Parts: sequence; C-alpha cells; structure tokens
Amino acid sequence: MTRPGSYFSGSNDHGLSRRGFLGATAAGAATFAADTRLDGFKSEALAAELRKQNKNVILLWLAGGASQFETFDPKPGRPTGGPYRAIPTNATGVHISELLPRIAARMQHTAIIRSLYTKVTDHGGGATLMETGRRPAPGFSYPDIGAVVARELGRIDSQVPDYVSMYTSTEGRRKGTSGFLGARYSPMFLAENMVPENIRRLETISDIDHRDRAALRDVLAKRFNQTHQSSTVASQTTAYHRVRGIMASEKLFDIEQEPEAMRQKYGPLQFGQQCLIARRLIEAGVPFVKVARAWWDSHGQNFETHRELCADLDQAMSALLDDLAERGLLENTLVITLGEFGRTPNINASLGRDHFANAWSCSLSGCGIRGGVAYGRTDEDGHNVADGPVKAGDLFATILSALGIDPESEYYLGSRPLPLADFGSKAVKEVLA
Amino acid sequence: MMPRCAVLFSALAILLPLSLHASELRPADQPIEQVIDHYVDALTKADEVPAASQTGDATLLRRLTLDLAGRIPTAREARAYTESTSASKRVELVDRLLASPDFAFHHRNELEEILLPNRRNDGEFRKYLLWAAEQNRRWDDMFRDMLTGNEDDEYQKAALQFVRTRIRDVDDLTNATSVAFFGVNVSCAKCHDHPLVEDWKQDHFYGLQSFLSRTYVTKQNAVLEKPFGEVKYTTREGVEKQAHFMFLTGANVEVASLELSGDEKKKLEEAIRKAEREDNAPIPEPQGDSARGKLVDVALRDGDNHFFAQNIANRIWQRMLGRGLVDPVDQIHSGNPASHPELLEWLARDLVTHGYDLKRLIRGIALSQTYSRSSEWSSASEPPRPEYFALAPARPLTPRQYALSLLVASRNSTHWDQDALQQPDRWRQERESLENSSNGWAGNFEAPTDGFQIAVDEALLFSNNDRIQNDLLRDSGDRLVGQLKAIEDDQEAINTAFLVINSRQPTDEESSAIREYLAARADNRPEALKQAVWALLTGPELRFNH
Repeated sequence: MTRPGSYFSGSNDHGLSRRGFLGATAAGAATFAADTRLDGFKSEALAAELRKQNKNVILLWLAGGASQFETFDPKPGRPTGGPYRAIPTNATGVHISELLPRIAARMQHTAIIRSLYTKVTDHGGGATLMETGRRPAPGFSYPDIGAVVARELGRIDSQVPDYVSMYTSTEGRRKGTSGFLGARYSPMFLAENMVPENIRRLETISDIDHRDRAALRDVLAKRFNQTHQSSTVASQTTAYHRVRGIMASEKLFDIEQEPEAMRQKYGPLQFGQQCLIARRLIEAGVPFVKVARAWWDSHGQNFETHRELCADLDQAMSALLDDLAERGLLENTLVITLGEFGRTPNINASLGRDHFANAWSCSLSGCGIRGGVAYGRTDEDGHNVADGPVKAGDLFATILSALGIDPESEYYLGSRPLPLADFGSKAVKEVLA
Repeated sequence: MMPRCAVLFSALAILLPLSLHASELRPADQPIEQVIDHYVDALTKADEVPAASQTGDATLLRRLTLDLAGRIPTAREARAYTESTSASKRVELVDRLLASPDFAFHHRNELEEILLPNRRNDGEFRKYLLWAAEQNRRWDDMFRDMLTGNEDDEYQKAALQFVRTRIRDVDDLTNATSVAFFGVNVSCAKCHDHPLVEDWKQDHFYGLQSFLSRTYVTKQNAVLEKPFGEVKYTTREGVEKQAHFMFLTGANVEVASLELSGDEKKKLEEAIRKAEREDNAPIPEPQGDSARGKLVDVALRDGDNHFFAQNIANRIWQRMLGRGLVDPVDQIHSGNPASHPELLEWLARDLVTHGYDLKRLIRGIALSQTYSRSSEWSSASEPPRPEYFALAPARPLTPRQYALSLLVASRNSTHWDQDALQQPDRWRQERESLENSSNGWAGNFEAPTDGFQIAVDEALLFSNNDRIQNDLLRDSGDRLVGQLKAIEDDQEAINTAFLVINSRQPTDEESSAIREYLAARADNRPEALKQAVWALLTGPELRFNH
C-alpha cells in the first residue's frame, strides 16, 4: 500500500493539517468525557476511594474440580486419604499435600478454607454457584465475581480491559457472565490465542487513518450525544474512546517482553504463561483476571492426574505469589484458587474420585487476607464439615470484604435491591487481615 | 434466594385494585391514538411536566420504520416521505409498513425475544412465529398454540417449542409462562411467600406450576400430559402442602385426575417413562382433562383475563416507547402500579373487544402524538422523567435491528431503489435473505437490558474486525463505499452517505467536517470515503432508535 508521495511517506503539509483536525476533536472528546458517569447505583465518593486503592483479583480456576485430599486438606493414613503424604508448611500447625511443596513454603500469604459446603455437584451448576455466589433463579441473570469486581473496582474510562478471562483447554471453557450488570462488564476472552480478539489493527488500514476516523466519528457524534443525555447513549462513545487504550494493552499479553528468567519461574506450560500474563495485566491496572486450568475431573486415575496438575499449579501459583510480593503488588492483589467443587472421599474402582461438594477446600492469598491460617475442619475421613461450614455466598462475601467492598451493599434491578453477596451471607472473619 | 422485589409501596396501606370501573374510562369507540394522548397529556399537565415537541419528518420516518419494519428506511423511502405533500402521509406510511412483509419479520423477531429469549434462532419456533405474524394471528390463539398446540399440525407443533424447550425444568417453565404471558415474575414466591409483594404467595407459584407439572416430552419430542399428578411443596415453616390448580387471580380450577388402581397407575407410569426414553416406545393415549388447556381457559376467561391482556398491551407499549406503562414489564402487581393505570386498562379492554389484534394496537400507538415526540432535550431544565412519556427516549437497537440496519446502509443504495424490488413478493424474498445475512451479525451484539451499557467489545469489533473492513466497507460497486467512490462531487457524496445511513441531509457543520476530512486525505479519496462511512456507521444515530 505504501508508495512514494502518498500520505504514508508523509508530506509535512499534509501531516500538519491532519494534526489540526485531531486537535480540534480532542477538545470535544474531553468535554464529553466529563459528562460520562456510569450510573448512580452507589455512593460515588466511596466508589472513587476504592478505585484509587487499585485493588485487583486473580482467580486461578481449577476447572473440573480439584481434590481437596491431594491439595489443601490431606488425610494421610485414612482409608480415604490416598497415597500421598501431608507436609508441614511454614505456618505452624498447617499441613497440606506433599504435591504442593512450594506453596507450603509460602503459606504466610495464604489462608485455606477447608469447610466449603456447597452441595451442588454437576459441573455447570457448581461452576455457576461458585462464580456468582448464588443459586440461579428463573427470570434473573446474576453477574459472576469477575463482573462484580470489574463493576466495583474498574474505572469507566479505563484504558485497559477490566475483566479478562483466559481459557484454552477444551473442557475449561466457561464464558462467565456479567448478568444484569450488562455487557459493559463482560469479560474479554482469550480462547484461541494468547491475545484477545479484535485488539490488533488490521494491516489494511493505516494507524493514522484508524486514529483519524475515530476522531471524525467523535465530531459527527457530538450533537447527538449532547441532545440525548443518557448513560446508555454515553456508553457508546465511551466504548469507542477506550479502543486505542485497549489496543495499546496488546503488549501486556506478550510474555516475550518478560526476561527469560522470569518466564522460567512460571514454567513452560500454558497455565504458567497465562499466570504471567495475569500479573502483567494486574500491574497495568486490570481489576480482574481469571486463568482457568483444566481438567481436574479425575473420575479415573485421580492420583496420576493430581500429581501432574498439582506440580503445574504449585509452580505457577508460587511464582505468581513471589512475583506479586516482590513488586509490592500482593498487598493489593487477591489470588483465589477455586473450582466448582471438590472430590469424593471414596476412591472408586478406577482409582478415581467423583464430584463432591459437602466438604471441600479453596485458598485465598494476598490482599486483605490473614496468611498462614487454615479455617474450618472436616471430619477425620473428610466426609463432612466438622467445624465452620462455608457456603458459596459466604465465600463471595469473604472475597468482597478482603477487597474492601461491603458485601451488603446493594444493586438495584429496577426497584428491586439485591445485595452484592447473597442474602444472609457472612464473611469468614478468621481469614481476613 | 431472589432479589427482593419492589419496596415502593411500603407506605401504601391500601393496595390499588388492578381493575377500575369500565364506566370511568374513556369511551370504547374513541380512536386508540386519541385515548393515548388524552391520558398521557392529562398527567403531564396535572404534574406540570414540560414535554418535548413533535419530531420532524425524517426522524419520524426512521422511528416508524425501525419500529414497524425492524430496519432503517432505504434512501428511496426517505426521499419519498420527506418529499410527499400528502396531508395524511403519516397514516399512509404506517398502513404501508404494517401491510408490508417487513412487519411480519420484525414482529416475529420481537415476539421471539419475549417468548424464547434464551434460545434465539430456534428454527422451528421462528417458523411458527413468522407464520402467525404474517396472518396477524390473534394473540389469544397464539397463547393456545404455544401451550396446547396440536402435535399433528405443522405450525402448532412448532409453537409447542415454548413448552418443549423448557420442560426439563418445570420451575423455569412456570416462571417463563408467567413472565411471558401474564407479566408476573413469580419466582420470588417459590421458596416462600413473596417477601415484599403482598400479592404473591407460594400458593400462586405452585398453583400455576400445577397446570404445567403433568407435562412430559417423549423421546420423539411430542409434548404430552399425564392424566394425573399434583404438586406438593413445603413452606418455610416446614409444613408440607398440596397445591391447588389456582391461577394468579386466585381463581381455583377443577382439573380431573384419572382414577386408576395402583396397578394401572404403575403400568401407565412405566409406559410414560418408556416413551420419554425410547424412540420406538408406544405413546400412551392422552386421556381426560388437559391441565395446560385449563390454564389457557382460565387465563382468557372474562374476569380473570386482565393479566393476559394487560401484559401484552404493556409489552407492545414498551416495544414502541422504550418503557412499559408498568415497569419493569414482568412486575404487574398491586405494589407496582402503572404510570397511567386508566390507559393500560383501556388498552387491555380494547384488545379484548377487538380479538387481541396486536396490529391494531401497534397502529394506534404509532399514530399518537405521544409516540412522535422528539427525543432531543437541549433545554437547561431537567428532562422529564421517563414514566411521563413526554420525551422520546433514545433506544438502543436490538441486535437484529442493528444488524439489518447495517446491512441496509452498507449496500449500494440504488439496489433498494429498483422498481422491481418494490413488489411485495420480491421484497419478501429480499427481506428473507437480509434476515439470513443478519443472523451472524446479530450474534455480535448484546440485547439491550435495563440501564444498558455498550461494551468496548463492540467498539473493538467495529474498529478492528476484518468483516467490517472487508464486507460492510468493501469498495466494490455493490456497496455504499463503491457507490460514493463513483460520485465525483464531495458534497453530493456526503449527502448520499447521510441519506443512506441517517435518512436525512447533513447539517453545514457535519458537511464541512467531512469535507475537511476528505480534503486532508485527497491523496486517497476512496480510502477517505471508506473512513467517513465508518464514522457514520459507528455513530449513535445509527445505533439508537431516536
């Protein structure tokens, strides 16, 4: 396309007049941005304060359901315990599976909850419950934790995405949903590639044309936007204003920009690489990143599966915690390790464990969390919660509290108030800093 | 747990009755549009609310075409309307659009959103809806088709998709039926009496569910009913209760159960289980009362039909005016009164007395002054609150409307001008292929919701997706960009682009902005025209119905 004498080789004259055009538009855009408010759901002052603190979440989603016995709640020597040992951690009295030695050495950042009691044991239903913190209700579409965090901690004019969701393994694909919060808070996906869709300029249009036509769009949209004042109308221009910033964030997805030594810490596998991307995104101000690791659904060969997947989790998660801590990001970043449910105490004939949601585990690290704590207790064979049952809504409330978001604050669906965490949920204070 | 529902009425000790006395309403024989304007104007006057003036020809044409045909007007239609000097051109336009093949397609698309919102593009169901829309089938008959259709009839069988696709979850079927046909979201009353809406008790949820719980679907996909079966439920206090066949109005209905001995019942249940699981199992003969049929009967019965009639009147009103008279539209109950209760009552009565003719209602709304107010508010004073309907809202297009409009706008406009195309049969074919092309595009956009926010994904799609660049913005002769390229004069090209995309002439300011842009890019005019078209296609004027 480039040919001598064309715009691309850049006559000065030409460049000047186009800059003039852009300059005039930038002023228009700025005026417009000042009118742009998300909505009046909540106290603006409080929301602004939260956003200033720049808090973030990385969700490591163990798709398919990891076994609590082979991770955070080992039962060595019991008939249900399986072949692996428990090892001490650097937190006094807290033991976890020997499959997670590096995490064991970093328990000062992490609180374990061993008493999840969520009952739902089908993949879809369990994932929906754990992602939204509530049972689905006919006629309502609830937002997942990513959308809620994006809504509460994201900035409307953010130059980076506010909810990024990565999955690549076939079985780990769940879109997640922003529910009634609307498409503004839908996740940006990485499904096929390591880079989101439509983030890169096509080669058939030059950068300056790409920029100028957006400026022309603003000029032409101005009158309509001024005479039609609604947050819905404003959202369209806000979306177009965010395009260039989001495009510039493409480099965040490029781990080639990290030193080789850093990449090695996270490991060569895709999960580790995605964790590294997650750190890069968080550092750039993305409030919520989900990295899904599949497929933990070990109905057969549970112990082989966990030996492999836990090694991967152990390396990636410990590298992530170290990296965040060294950069001073961990105190503002909450790392959640969670799946849709745990696995049965009974070991089946194929040496597998099946779906189980009556007594299982997750972990929370970093922002707002009291490290080195194991909350709740299962009975000696892990069949039931013996102490401190935690429901999905309670976990949701705990996560929000750790981020400084009041779980009892409310959204309005029309005139219907809905608390952020399900009615009657209680945060687990023992794991909060 | 459910969201808690409306708290608005907490101060109202006395609940408003849903039915007023007919004698207090405007006369039944007054034209719909006059009745609408009477009630709407009365409220704005009483509350001293300022109202927007009537909108101009170009905007009205656009609004009517989007609302009645589901797409923007073509350049030919835009020219014809603004140039017409007929005193009755608005009525002529409304009647032309309502009679055009476009209306049926659009009406089908809108009904699909109400009836099967979580399962768009269900081919069978869309086939039924189009068939019904093309003959303006009575809404009560459609209700009967969808709940109790005859499996041997091609179209009624397709209508049963409403039940068939939901039968695996009878709670979902119960609530979906209640929301779609009665405007009542009863899901809050499933686990306990509704905490904040006095009207809805567990008895209502399970009463409604009783009519639906006998339904089953065979492996061959036939929707059938067991001749027995009652619903039991447990109250919050742990008391087990048996539900009655009870409608939302509290009306109890007698639904017979087949008297069978223990052995006979076992046998029949076994046969039903087999039919549900096996392809070649014999289908048990239907016997006795149809519980779903009884639900249809009671819901349409004089004295109990106000939910059914008010719901569809309210939903059509929302379609045309952006907000229900009762808002949200699934919250018809005494604690959430209509903004204009007499108007809703009158419209519902009119529907009942005129054979649930939805086209008649749509026509009436389209001809009202309330409908044709401007959407612009430039005065320094606060705009009127939406429930006054004193200012037309800018409504985001549905994914389907947006997709169709993009396809219409990006074509070389002389395509739509062809005389041959104006024949209804030819136009129907054209519309059908446009619908098919729009399927893929529509999937890229989100359906509008309360407080809708356009996602950055949409802007990224328009900015960087190759289908935008290589299809909508292609510069071949069959596309708008190709058409403009062949027009030598810049201003003429700008005028054409505005007419095609925004159905109007550009203002001087807009013209000079684009002229400046073209001049700055004179080294590659085709590319510059492409970017100018992009800037208009991505503008709010095309994204919103205003």
